[in-house]
Formats: sequence, structure tokens, C-alpha cells
Amino acid sequence: MAEMTARVSGFFGRMPRWVYVVIALALAIAFPLLEQFGLMQTLWLRLGTRVLVYVLLAVGLNLVLGETGLLHLGYVAFFAVGAYTTAILSSPRFGIQWNFWVIVALAMGLSMLFGFLIAVPTLRLRGDYLAIVTLAFGEITRMTLNNWETLTNGPGGIPGIYPPNIFGWTVDSPLEFFYVLLVAVVIVIYLLGNVKDSRIGRAWNALREDEIAAHHSGVRPMRAKMLAVVMSSGIAGLAGAIFAYYQQFINPTYFLFMQSTIVVCMVVLGGMGSIPGAVLGAVVLDATPEVIRQAFTTWLPGAFGRDFLPGVQSALQTDFDRYRMAIFGLVIVLMVIFRPEGLLPNKLWKREVHEEDPRELEKTHQHLFDFEEGKQDLEV
Amino acid sequence: MQFERIRRILALGLVLVLALSTFGLGGCTQDTDDGADDGATGTTETIKIGVHTSLTGGLADYGFAASEALKIAAEDFTGFEVDGTTYEIELVIKDDKGEPAEAPIVAQQLVDEGVVAVIGTLTSGAANAALPIYQTAGIPMISGSATRPDLTELGFENFFRTCLRDDLQGAAIGEWALELEAAKVVVMDDRGDYAVALGNEVQATVEAGGAEVLRQEGQEGDQDFSAQVANIMGFDPDVVIFTGYHREAGLLFKQLREAGSDAQFMGGDGIKSNEIAQGAGGAANVEGAFCTFGGFAQEGMPGYADFAAKFLEVTGVEAGPYAENNYDALGAVVEAIKASGSTVGADIIEALHDVTYEGVQGTLQFDENGDVTVPGGGGTDLIPRFEFKGEAWEFLG
Repeated sequence: MAEMTARVSGFFGRMPRWVYVVIALALAIAFPLLEQFGLMQTLWLRLGTRVLVYVLLAVGLNLVLGETGLLHLGYVAFFAVGAYTTAILSSPRFGIQWNFWVIVALAMGLSMLFGFLIAVPTLRLRGDYLAIVTLAFGEITRMTLNNWETLTNGPGGIPGIYPPNIFGWTVDSPLEFFYVLLVAVVIVIYLLGNVKDSRIGRAWNALREDEIAAHHSGVRPMRAKMLAVVMSSGIAGLAGAIFAYYQQFINPTYFLFMQSTIVVCMVVLGGMGSIPGAVLGAVVLDATPEVIRQAFTTWLPGAFGRDFLPGVQSALQTDFDRYRMAIFGLVIVLMVIFRPEGLLPNKLWKREVHEEDPRELEKTHQHLFDFEEGKQDLEV
Repeated sequence: MQFERIRRILALGLVLVLALSTFGLGGCTQDTDDGADDGATGTTETIKIGVHTSLTGGLADYGFAASEALKIAAEDFTGFEVDGTTYEIELVIKDDKGEPAEAPIVAQQLVDEGVVAVIGTLTSGAANAALPIYQTAGIPMISGSATRPDLTELGFENFFRTCLRDDLQGAAIGEWALELEAAKVVVMDDRGDYAVALGNEVQATVEAGGAEVLRQEGQEGDQDFSAQVANIMGFDPDVVIFTGYHREAGLLFKQLREAGSDAQFMGGDGIKSNEIAQGAGGAANVEGAFCTFGGFAQEGMPGYADFAAKFLEVTGVEAGPYAENNYDALGAVVEAIKASGSTVGADIIEALHDVTYEGVQGTLQFDENGDVTVPGGGGTDLIPRFEFKGEAWEFLG
């Protein structure tokens, strides 16, 4: 069995990376067509669109949390800044409708500025302290949105956000938003992939592993961390701006601390420091509760009859929604037990999680040896 | 070592699963399977009614009350007949976790399921997020608990509610103060979201009526109001209105009486607790105080006693907040289907505007915005009034 999985993963391991990228992209492009041809309920398209928003967030947070190793618990604040930028500048709230591109640029710019301002004092802290302070900043942002009634309308939120107009094309259906978000995701991932493999990406990884050693090897910690935080804030701002357009409504309860936690979970469960991992983490975590709901209320009763679980069928029919989050929690617990390194970890992180495992240690040594012999890139 | 830990966690997981299935078993006792009992003429049609509520998350208890009340309502109303067709009601209950980001997904799901009407959402935020989707699909949405005022002013003609708006109470308190021919009114809040909004509405109404207003504020948890009492005594008001909660209200009223004030004390539903007498250091200090309530008063509802008894019998717990509003929401939909003879969303929406429905809360109608009203009345008249007499709040009407 173990040999077989090894062979299978060996086979896939031999495929060049672009093959996966092409497959994933083709699946993503084809996904909404299922709905168009009536093969899938609109629900899934709507869910898919929200998943893409979380993909942006997870990929963005991965820069800070996964690559640079900073436990940032206030990430949703930047998402909120982006969303409120759209809501204020394109809604009946102040009766204005600015251009889509201006709003997106402004949302990203403001989020980055905000990220920078928060980073200046907080990045001097490490570990748990950084987590606490970023958490506090996330809550401060939400409370500000909740109480600055003249600008944000407080807890009532901002309804009726106008649909964006992109070069004369009015985007107002889940299908259109799906493709807009897909383009954003592809661009962001392409850029981040390049940054990751550049000198600055290596500097981030070095900081994550050992800040002092990195500092002494010529990495300037403050500057490198700042860059990571500011870039990831910009991505959250972009996600927020498009999300507000898509929801047509925004209020402070979208930006609870729980949202930050969920994005952290996406990065950790997907695999720290791995872009495909962050993408998969976002897909799995955001879609699973819905899949569980459909499985227990529609698919399983459809396949095995309403009585598929003897004795509990009526509770499942009418009350299942009350229990699904508990099942979701169980799934996460199992994932953490059986795959602590995440779903699609990068190699370095996987070895670190399993550092007592002699086989993984062996691989590390082999890898370094190959690198020194010039047989292999030092891929991380 | 590692295995020990895994085993422990797995055991915990198993316990969870067991607990879960026990709950499930507990919940399935009232499974009914009404068999073939027709023989009557005409056809039978099943209509799906969506229930868009929050069964998990911070408002789960409200969601539970809503969904249980709707199950009772579905059982009461199912099998109604229109033009020889018997309609069976099938509820499709969905949870949005109380998160507005989840609401569109749930709404889409109910639309995909082909529901003819939706009872929900539980929260105003979710209503904002879900309404565009129901609007596009042409499905009416009737909420029993979304009380935010602007919801019915956004131009969604498919939205109705069987609960009263948040701003109605403030206006009602203000009007009541004006009825008492108050010339000088103190409006005081506790800086909480709810109390401030209510206080603003009271102040606006009173000022529009020509009375002079002194605005004061305290903090929730304050013990000593001597600064405010000094200000109030200097102003010498006819009426003192406190929009916060009963604990602070009791203390404030006590300190005012001790300072020699003979003003009429009033408040919103925050002070509608009989414990106010303890905070006030004896019932004498609050005797004759007035308060209002933000919804229809259960004391004034013709059908509430029966409904509450049935709810207790079926679920084993007391009917929670807004349970009766949800019951009436389904009743109003059924009434609209009867009136229009159609299960098409657009027809139900149209009929709901004209329907007069005898519900738990009384005889209900909807105004042109979808807000609930009563025949010949509406607006601030709907807000019930109470007076503190002896030891308790007494319903005035």
C-alpha cells in the first residue's frame, strides 16, 4: 500500500509544475459552465465565487503567515478597508459611483497604507505578542467601522452597492463575478509566485526559520517583514473591494475576528508557505460546510432513501443544519491529526513538521547533497 | 507518545459523534407520516416554504424558537384548500450561521430548491445580504425578527415583516411624553448602541412637538448619577426618559426622587423588568413610571396563551423571543396564497399587501412598504404601553 502511494505520488511528482497549473486553471474556467448548462445548481456557482474571495485572502495571508512566519490575527481589517472603500464610493450612501479601477486602486492603496501604519509599531514584536497586537488592531478596525456612523452608517451597514462597470461591461451576476475574481486570483498568484522565488522570497523564508541568522546573513528583517505585510494588505484590500461589489451590502459583522481565524486556518491546513496549499485550504474550508449540508440533506437521502441513517432521519431532514458545524469541526480535527503539515505543503515545511521522522531527515540531507552536487535546485 | 495523544483526541471525537447522534435521536420523536386519508375531490399539491434562519452561531436560540414555531405553524396550516386544490406545506429549513456572508448562499439554495416563499431572515444584516437574491427570483421574504428601520425603505417590494421597526418605539415614547403635555423633557441614554438610537428618536419626536429637551448620558454599570441628577434638577423637567436598562434606570430614579424631583419617569423596553424596583430601593420610587415595548405585547395578543402552551408542549421549552412573529409570518403567506389562488411569487407578493390575517399577535396587515400594521391603526399606536403599579409593570394597551 505504502509502496503504491509512493509510486503514484512519484508519477505525479515527475510531471512538471505547469501541467498542474493548466489543469487547475482549466477546471476553474470550466466550473461556471456546469451551471450554465444546467448541470449544477446556482448555489455552487455562488459558493465558488465566495471561495475565490477566500482564495485571494488565503494567498495574501500566506505571504505573512506562511512565508515570513508572522502570526497575523488581524488580517480581516484590511479586507474591511477594501470593502468599505467600495461601499462608500459606489453606493447610494453618499450618492456617488466612482470608476471601478479607481476604487480598486484606492482600496489596495488604502489597505497598504493601513498595513504600513500598523506594521511600524507591531513588527518590532515577535511571536505571541505580534499575534495579540494584530488581533487588537483587527478589533479596533471593526469597532471603528461600527461606531463611525457618519461615514459607515455603523452597525446598519451600507446596502445597495452599485455593480461595477469594467470597460463598459456591467458585472452583476455570480457568473460574471466568478470570472472577474478568477482573473484577479490568477494575476495575484502569478506575481506572488515570482516574488516567492526571488531574493526577497528567500529572505522571508530565512526570517521564518531563524531571524537572527537571517539578519547576520544580510537580510534586513524590518524591511523584509514590512514588505510582506504591506503586500498582503494590498491583496486583502483587492479581495474586499470585489467582495463588496459582489455582496451589494456590507456591515461590520462581515469582519469579525472569526474571519481572520478562518483565513489563518486556510493557510495552516493548506500547508504553510505553499501557494497551491493556500488555494486548496480556502476551497476546502469554505466549501466543506456546504458540502456536508448537501450530503446529509440531499445526496445521501437521495441515494439511500430518507431513512439512510436508521432512527435519525427526521432529525437530519429538518434539523441537520444545527449539527453540521460540529461535523465540520470534527473534519478539521481529523485533518490536523493525520496531516499536520497541511494538504499541499511545500517540502521544506513538511520536513520541519516531521523533523523527528528519520525518513524526512534523510530526504533533507539527500536534497542538500544533491544541491551541492549541482543536481538539483534548492527548491523550497 | 505520539500515538497516546492521537488516541486521546480520537476518543474525544467519538464522544462528540455519540453526543451528536443522541441529540439527533432526541429530536426525531415527533416524526409524523400522515398516510393516505384523502378521498376528497380535487388534487393535492405540495408547496415548499423556505425557512432562512440562524440555527448555529450567536443567535442560535432565536433561530431555534423561529424554526420550532414554524414547524408548529406548518402543521397547523398544512392541508389548506384553495379552489379544490389541497396544499401540503413542506418546510425547507436552512441555517446561515447569523453571518451575512453566508446569507446569499442560503438564499440561493432556497431559490434553487424552488420555494414559493421564504420566512426569514433572522437578522437584519442577513436580510440586507439576501434580499437582492430573493428579489431577482421574485420570491417574497417575510421576516419575524429583522427590526432595522431602513430595511423596508430600500425599495425591495418582496420584503415584509411581522415584527415592529426599531424606530417606532422611540417615536411612541416621544409622543406619549407630548400627550402628557410635557414642556421640559430629559432624555438620557447609557451610551450603548441601542439606547443611543432609541434616545435620538425620542429626542427628535419630542423636539418636533415643541418641547424643550435636555440630553444626558450615563454609562452602563454606573452606580452614582449625582452629576446628572444635579443637571436634571437644575433643568426642572416634567418628564425624565431613560432609554437604557432597568438596573441603571432604578438607581437614577431613586436618586432623582431623593433629590426631590416629582417628574414623570419613562423608559423603553430596557426598563421593562420588575427587578427595577430593587435597583430603585423600593417600589415606591418607580410607582407610576411608564414604559413601552418594542414589539406587540404578549399581554395584548389574543392567541398568545394557546400558542405558548402548544410551543411548550411540542418542544419542551418556553417559546423564545419572536416565535409568535414567525408563526404569523407563515400564516400571512398561507392567507396570501388563499387570497390570490396562486403559488407564484409575484402573486403572493401582491396579495400580501392586501391581506388581512387573524394571527397569534392579532389582526395583521402590511402597509405599502411591507411593515406590519393593524386595520385602522398603525405607526406608533402599535407600541404597547405599561405602567408600574405596586410591584410590577401593568399592561395599559
